[in-house]
Amino acid sequence: MATIVDITEEKALKVKDFEFTYAGTDAPSIKKLTMPIAKHSITALIGPSGCGKTTLLRSFNRMHDLYPGNKYNGEIIFKERNILTPKEDLIKLRIQIGMIFQKPTAFPMSIFDNVAYGLRLQGIKNKTELQGRVEKALQDAAIWNEVKDRLKHDANGLSGGQQQRLCIARAVAVEPEILLFDEPTSALDPISTAGIEELIVELRDRVSIIIVTHNMQQAARVSDYTGFMYLGELVELGRTEELFVTPKERLTEEYITGKFG
Amino acid sequence: MTHTQKRIIINNLVMVLSTLSAVIGIGFLIWILGVLVINGIDALSMTIFANEGAPPGNEDGGLKHALIGQLILVSYATLFGVPLGVLAGTYLSEYGQKAKLAETIRDVSDIMMSAPSIVIGAFVYAIVVAPSGHFSGWAGSIALTIIMLPIVLRTTDDMLQLVPSTLREAAFALGAPKYKVITQVVYRGAKAGILTGILLAVARVAGETAPLLFTSFNDNFLNTDMSQPMASLTVTMYNYATSPYEDWQKLGWAAAFILSMFILTLNILGRLFLLKKRGK
Ligand SMILES: Nc1ncnc2c1ncn2[C@@H]1O[C@H](COP(=O)(O)OP(=O)(O)O)[C@@H](O)[C@H]1O
Ligand SMILES: [Mg+2]
Repeated sequence: MATIVDITEEKALKVKDFEFTYAGTDAPSIKKLTMPIAKHSITALIGPSGCGKTTLLRSFNRMHDLYPGNKYNGEIIFKERNILTPKEDLIKLRIQIGMIFQKPTAFPMSIFDNVAYGLRLQGIKNKTELQGRVEKALQDAAIWNEVKDRLKHDANGLSGGQQQRLCIARAVAVEPEILLFDEPTSALDPISTAGIEELIVELRDRVSIIIVTHNMQQAARVSDYTGFMYLGELVELGRTEELFVTPKERLTEEYITGKFG
Repeated sequence: MTHTQKRIIINNLVMVLSTLSAVIGIGFLIWILGVLVINGIDALSMTIFANEGAPPGNEDGGLKHALIGQLILVSYATLFGVPLGVLAGTYLSEYGQKAKLAETIRDVSDIMMSAPSIVIGAFVYAIVVAPSGHFSGWAGSIALTIIMLPIVLRTTDDMLQLVPSTLREAAFALGAPKYKVITQVVYRGAKAGILTGILLAVARVAGETAPLLFTSFNDNFLNTDMSQPMASLTVTMYNYATSPYEDWQKLGWAAAFILSMFILTLNILGRLFLLKKRGK
């Protein structure tokens, strides 16, 4: 059984006995995983490549449903309901739980239209409201000053780091409750990485954040809680400063001291 | 002779032969274009665009009827073929994916693409012309549509599949329903490629003669009624070029030149779209 620290805050998500099996495979990629996620804090998921971090993260917004044949078992409780039931409204769920991908995913449209995309999906048409919310989101993502003079330009003209911040702006524009980040800086240079990390920390006051990273230093720098996963299971979830200094599980210690991974 | 020497000789031989073949190929192309331009420009005049067909020996015969007929035939084919092809390609890439039905449609459309166009002409003759009892513009446009469809369908399918799946996922992650993901994000990402495919498909059918011989047939005068036989540049060119009359042959050259320039323009436009896309 995993060692899980007592979380005193409210929970953003509660994962209970969760299992996930990809289409065409027999063994589950996530096995009987139980894990609380604290509200208004940053939880990092670390672990060796292939341990199931991405798989778990993509279960929180049911991204796996885009491909046929994948199977969920157990529960993921969000706002007092299990989001794994067939009657879950995935469109609403994904508005409340946003996602930032490994590679920037700027849409082939203008910077403004990128950020307005989610807002327009929700039926917001009023020009002044759109403009106000786009500007605010770009400010929240610390990219407003760089793009305010070229909102009509194609988003693909931005640098990688700028595109990633644009994607964050696009995600925060719809005011989600949870933001999922899957290795958001692995395609970026160190300076852009530092910028994104700073931004993630600033967002904590408004959203609960779960970030997958293969970079332990990054987890240590930005997160409040860290979960260490291994072979589809959660080994340990602790307060970040404790987990990295005094891990409770031998496996965790071996991983953070670089004995494997 | 050592092994190395032998290899060098073979190397050089292959290089010389392949260069020679390329030069011969390009040589013929330039020759064809040269003859076409010289004879075509010589035959061009304002009357060609202003006048309809005339009996041989009459100096002021023109191609107006064929130009307009061609435009109508190709326009209707585009009007039918493009939406059908784009929608079918969308089904293949976004809904069918690797399903049996989708794979079967891909195979069938590949076969259709390599089917001789005269066979498609004969098919439309059997299902449209014979039952209705006469040639018609509709029959011609239907034949061109059938030729166009697999090209548009396959390019759409290919171009949509080139759009990274992370882009789709990002749109879904914002709460977009599938049809909006496709129309607002995926189509935009594939726009240049699909447009190029459409232009090349239009260029391809614009040069077709055989399927029109059986379907829209020909008319020496201007006709815009799709239920009647209709002139086209290709069939007109075929008739005029094979006739024994010098003034008709001249008109045939003019038709060949105009048609080639039209198709060349479409091809260049199509390539420009792709270049512009890659450039950024
Ligand atoms: N689409 C898929 N189909 C089948 N198996 C998959 C798929 N994606 C990932 N897996 C498997 O699931 C396990 C967890 O992968 P993943 O969640 O991507 O790991 P991580 O993000 O921790 O590197 C791996 O063993 C991987 O091979
Ligand atoms: Mg991963």
